[in-house]
Amino acid sequence: MKFLFKQALSCSIFLLLVMLSLTSYGQQTIRGTVSNTEQVLIPGVNITIKNKLKGTTTNFEGQYQIQAQAQDTLVFTYLGYSPQAIPVGNQTQINIVLQEEENSLGDLVINAGYYRVRDRERTGNIAKVTAEEIELQPLVSPLQALQGRMAGVEISANTATPGGAPIIRIRGQNSLRKEGNYPLYIIDGVPINSVPVESNTSLGFVGVDPLSTMNLSNIKSIEVLKDADATAIYGSRGANGVILITTKTGENQKGVQARIYSGVSIIPKKLDLLNTNQYLALRKQAFINDGVEPDEFNAYDLLIWDQNRETDWQDYFLGGTANITDVNISAQGGSDQTHFRLNGAFHKQGTIYPVDLNYQKFTGGFNLNHHTKDNKFQLNLAINYGIDQNELIGDGIDFLSNAFKLPPNAPNLYLEDGSLNWTDWGEAGLAHPLEGVFNSSTIEARNLITNLNLSYKILEGLELKTNLGFTDYKSDELVKMPKRSYNPAGMPLHRSLSTDSQRQTWIAEPQLNYTKQWDKLSIQALIGSTIQENQYKNFSVEGQNYVAEALIGNLGAAEKLLNAQARNIDYRYQAVFSRIGLNWDKKYYLNLTARRDGSSRFAAANRFANFGAIGAAWIFTEEAFFTKRLNWLSFGKIRGSYGTTGNDQIPDYGYLDAYEATPGPGGLYPVGLANPKYTWEKNKKAEIALQLGFLKDKLDVGISAYRNRSSNQLVGYPLPSTTGFNNVQANLPATVENSGWEIEVSSENINNNKVRWETSFNISFPRNELIRYPGLEQSSYANIYKEGHPLNIRFLYEYEGVNPETGYYSVKDQNGDEIYDQEDKTIIQDLTREYFGGINNTISYQGISLQFLFQFVKQQGSFSDLFNAGFPQNQIAEVTHNSSSYAQVSQTLDAFLAYANVTESNFVIEDASFIRMKTINLSYSLPVKWIQSLNLNQVKFFITGQNLFTITDYKGMDPETLQGGTDFSNLRTFTGGLQLNF
Amino acid sequence: MKIKFYTHRLSIILILVMLSFLTSCQDWIEVEEPDNKLVSSEVFSSDETAQSAMQGIYNQLYRASFSEGWLGSVTVLAGLSSDNVELINTNALDLLQFEQNTIHPDNTYNRTLWSSAYNIIYMVNSLLEGLEKSTKVSPEVSQRLEGEAKFIRAFTYFYLRNLYGEVPLVVNTNYEANATIEASSILEIDEQILTDLGVTLSLLADVPNSAERTQINEFTAKALLARVHLYLENWELAEAYSSEVIAQSGNYSLPTDMNEVFLANSQEAIWQISPLGAGTGLTNTNEGSVFLINAFLPSLSYLKISENLVSSLTSDDNRRIHWVGYNEDLAIYYAHKYKIQNSTGEPIEYSMVLRLAEQYLIRAEARANQNNLQGAIIDLDKIKARAGIALLSETNPEIDQQALLKEILKERRKELFAEWGHRWLDLIRLGRAQEILLPINSDLELTDLRYPIPSEELLRNPFLNQNPGY
Repeated sequence: MKFLFKQALSCSIFLLLVMLSLTSYGQQTIRGTVSNTEQVLIPGVNITIKNKLKGTTTNFEGQYQIQAQAQDTLVFTYLGYSPQAIPVGNQTQINIVLQEEENSLGDLVINAGYYRVRDRERTGNIAKVTAEEIELQPLVSPLQALQGRMAGVEISANTATPGGAPIIRIRGQNSLRKEGNYPLYIIDGVPINSVPVESNTSLGFVGVDPLSTMNLSNIKSIEVLKDADATAIYGSRGANGVILITTKTGENQKGVQARIYSGVSIIPKKLDLLNTNQYLALRKQAFINDGVEPDEFNAYDLLIWDQNRETDWQDYFLGGTANITDVNISAQGGSDQTHFRLNGAFHKQGTIYPVDLNYQKFTGGFNLNHHTKDNKFQLNLAINYGIDQNELIGDGIDFLSNAFKLPPNAPNLYLEDGSLNWTDWGEAGLAHPLEGVFNSSTIEARNLITNLNLSYKILEGLELKTNLGFTDYKSDELVKMPKRSYNPAGMPLHRSLSTDSQRQTWIAEPQLNYTKQWDKLSIQALIGSTIQENQYKNFSVEGQNYVAEALIGNLGAAEKLLNAQARNIDYRYQAVFSRIGLNWDKKYYLNLTARRDGSSRFAAANRFANFGAIGAAWIFTEEAFFTKRLNWLSFGKIRGSYGTTGNDQIPDYGYLDAYEATPGPGGLYPVGLANPKYTWEKNKKAEIALQLGFLKDKLDVGISAYRNRSSNQLVGYPLPSTTGFNNVQANLPATVENSGWEIEVSSENINNNKVRWETSFNISFPRNELIRYPGLEQSSYANIYKEGHPLNIRFLYEYEGVNPETGYYSVKDQNGDEIYDQEDKTIIQDLTREYFGGINNTISYQGISLQFLFQFVKQQGSFSDLFNAGFPQNQIAEVTHNSSSYAQVSQTLDAFLAYANVTESNFVIEDASFIRMKTINLSYSLPVKWIQSLNLNQVKFFITGQNLFTITDYKGMDPETLQGGTDFSNLRTFTGGLQLNF
Repeated sequence: MKIKFYTHRLSIILILVMLSFLTSCQDWIEVEEPDNKLVSSEVFSSDETAQSAMQGIYNQLYRASFSEGWLGSVTVLAGLSSDNVELINTNALDLLQFEQNTIHPDNTYNRTLWSSAYNIIYMVNSLLEGLEKSTKVSPEVSQRLEGEAKFIRAFTYFYLRNLYGEVPLVVNTNYEANATIEASSILEIDEQILTDLGVTLSLLADVPNSAERTQINEFTAKALLARVHLYLENWELAEAYSSEVIAQSGNYSLPTDMNEVFLANSQEAIWQISPLGAGTGLTNTNEGSVFLINAFLPSLSYLKISENLVSSLTSDDNRRIHWVGYNEDLAIYYAHKYKIQNSTGEPIEYSMVLRLAEQYLIRAEARANQNNLQGAIIDLDKIKARAGIALLSETNPEIDQQALLKEILKERRKELFAEWGHRWLDLIRLGRAQEILLPINSDLELTDLRYPIPSEELLRNPFLNQNPGY
């Protein structure tokens, strides 16, 4: 790498000198400035001499200087502006005013991963979000900032705990395996393992977000590749879409920016639960109804506990306020050819739970780019480093379920001295609900992402590029389990659980780019290869019996080390890829992409596969026919694509028939079933789309229809236990189809000197269907999926009302065999979103800017908890207020079984659609004249609100988190801050 | 000229570098096996690693739900199903279903009971296939391991057959076939159990017993054979095999101190499972921790024994004195066979699976059924004598066959309570479950005597049928 760099650099310097000496005859120096129509000087404008390999760029003051001959023509180009060509003649001073290109739609440049393409000319489906839209959101996860902003991209936060991995689905669920649906994440050209990091903490269930160490303010843009044309070049990893994250560079800007904001988060909603009087009345009624004499075992809440105590456990557990602080400083500068950007940031977030825990993130970034004067050699180096320190409660403590289920007269959880109140809970024969509360866990993750991109123009039109990347993610996790967390009756010991994991990736991607124009035909070709290696290491050990609580975690102080487990996984990947883009007269576009992939995750015979796609576009408004007749239509394009991608997201080494060490001493045992036969999941994507611009592109409309079919489904195929295990990796002859419509509209409602108002709207109508599964009835999936239905379904009993004889809930025994089982679950409930989208408005008036985003979802959900009135747990108040809809109050086993059945029936299904004010941001910049004397370029105040309100009929906590109804993942957040640009 | 030369040279170099990437050989994606896995062929490439695979099975027996002695084990669940063991806290609804003989096919304890047994069977089958394919394991070791493994398979099927009735008979690791396997008849399962135990017997015949009683030897096989034949009412064979075990007086004897019976490698033990297999650092048995009363918070304890059982033990019975505890706070009796609830040092107790007292009771029953009443009384009195209660030869030497068989059943209850579901299996095999259990559970139906096949299994294997009544 070093060699390459030095050689390229010295060579280019040499070339430059030679060229200067060869062409010095007849040279004249031309100076000048480049500005826009508003007389603002533009730095970084490219100035080249037509038909010569020579050029320069304007400096930060918009000035340039170049040697040229009288017969030469200077060409000025800058992104978003119309190029200009000026013959030199005998001029020595050429000042240029560049005109902004009217068609803003066409000139947005989109990152397609291995190449860039103008939005106007793209043949594939790529959505883009830029820094301005997301950088002020007080979020830890960068992807969560995309919620509601892109058609076809479904994101749910999954947990309210910072650092947890969100769920992201691009155009629906392709794989029958939940863990086979992650998109490919690429940061500055380096693939990042998108699988959440394992954890033993309370984040264990959702996993730790591998992107949590990214700084949201350091992201320049996020592009999401959706269709075959865009994703096929990623071959076996493109099936679930690709997310490209580009970090900010130092180009075209200079100065220092400092930004600070802080604020608070609170719980967005409380459920209406019973108070002590209502609760106790129900409980007493239950015993009367059942004719059972309450005793200390079945009625501890009536006989042992204080009848007058009243605690609002929701307030107690979830009523806290979490503080947020974020500081971000960046500096950028450089010379004409070299630019740098430095960035440092700190983010801190507390918790709403009654424990003092913080999430903290420190990030630093360095970006350097350089090009030689002749633009032949380019270098771009990006280094991003993040440390993320997450304090969490240990796994197993469920604040949520306690908040909703503890009876309101339950005794104190703590004694006055701060220790857990074992006696009162023990007397009732209950485990203490906060057993384990003093367990603390800390996850410290360090993430280094580096990327070096070198390119060299070998010949006119021929460019050699190499992308080298290295990432190192290290996470050290320590769970401390002090004695006092546990019931002394169990004679607990001070324990600790340490888990260290490391993910390292390196990648090298050399590629050749070729561009050529023949008359009206222009061609862009690319060929490249990838070699990549991922190493994953994981070590965990339990330390037991520390002498003192203070020593927990110091493994040297543990009396015993147990359950030490080490794993290392090696994944290698190799590919060749190419792309040919053709365009005729800027009207007809054809794009061909192909990739051949090899992956170590498959047995030797099945390691390689080919993927490819074809995309085409026709800008019909370029045809004379249209320009003459439809002048209200400023832009019109039809495009379509078809191709195949794959999915290799399966565990490594699954094909090996192997033994591992048993936890007990000296033993080996088989830990799973091996299948050497499995191979890639195939995903065929087709799309057709129409893009229209009206009224000089003030109104843009994009409509796409897509159909993706995933076949050869690779799943942990569930097996009966008679096989020894519960599943095996295998390819299923099943096809899942995701199809749908996506509409994106953006409009510039007002744009005059004072006011600018823009609206963008997106809506997606996804459809998901298991279209084919020969032999489903005989397979193990017979009762999980159904042909002709979506994957996200539930089989439910048919609710028949409350049985007038018993007073219990009753569900229909469809086959009349007096047994309630799968055969009676004849109702198939679709839980897929019917449609979803967002509407975003940006209004600015002089220094004031207002941006707000509504997110909306149409879906069905279930509320299947908190209505088994009569049992010793709290209930929703509705069971008292509206008791006729609920079963007779009872505490018998039969009532419990009836309740268990009804929670599996259509009784619990309700409309869980919602409209949410996702984010709102109001900012005010002081007028420039006030601050000029202070040497400031900008002073901006801003306030931001997240999840301010949600309009929904759903009874549960959060319609985005539909797990029974008591879970939630979106806190209501308010922040305010200040930004200074020097 | 110079320019051209340099650009050419550079581009040629770079293109060559690139081509070398593009054409780099496909072997590059070959990855080494991870260092935490040992490929099956390597496991059976030496005596030592092959023995580790057998040790793995012994270890896992202490982690498999059905055999570990914790709440999901045969000991607890079948204990609850019988009239011996009861729940202290009836809020544990999944367990209550066992006590009330109303097990729902979705019951999680029932599911893990089943799946853990089949997982152990898979391990045995995998080991047997590994040995068969291997050319590197020495014949002596190979034979010994085969003998031990087949015992484990027979032992596991014994419980599956007696708890569930007709179950799939899985004897290989072919998951494709085993995913759609049908249940075998009781007859076929019994044949398989007897065949496996026969192989064990022949392969382990000349192998010396190890010091640890956690390893299978020829007498372990004979002890189980005695039980299997008793269940099959092959009285002669039951008598013959139990006699062979009892004859090993050098190896096995009944300790007079009742507190020594459940100690690690006790004189009475024919086969025990070591709690070290859990690998958690805890060295007490699960039986100790689940049956004993929590000293600090008694109400957090799980299980008690029925007053009906306690009242069947006279106050001078050593088993009443040493094996039954009473907790004042809860006013309940509990099983006190194991003494240690929580320990982390060297293990003092092992989890008992087969012991000599059962062999005497088997022989007594086999003899009584062959009308050798005197022989039966002698064996029964061995147990009574140790318990320190009146001998049948003194109190009622002229007892008739039916009364004697009833007496033997009573003695089995008193001796073997809270161990491996003996009582539940006895009541079923003798057809006396309804007569004895109806007074305490008036809803009991004949079909409740077989546990339901877990509903998940039925979902996943359409060729399995649910047991009647569920």
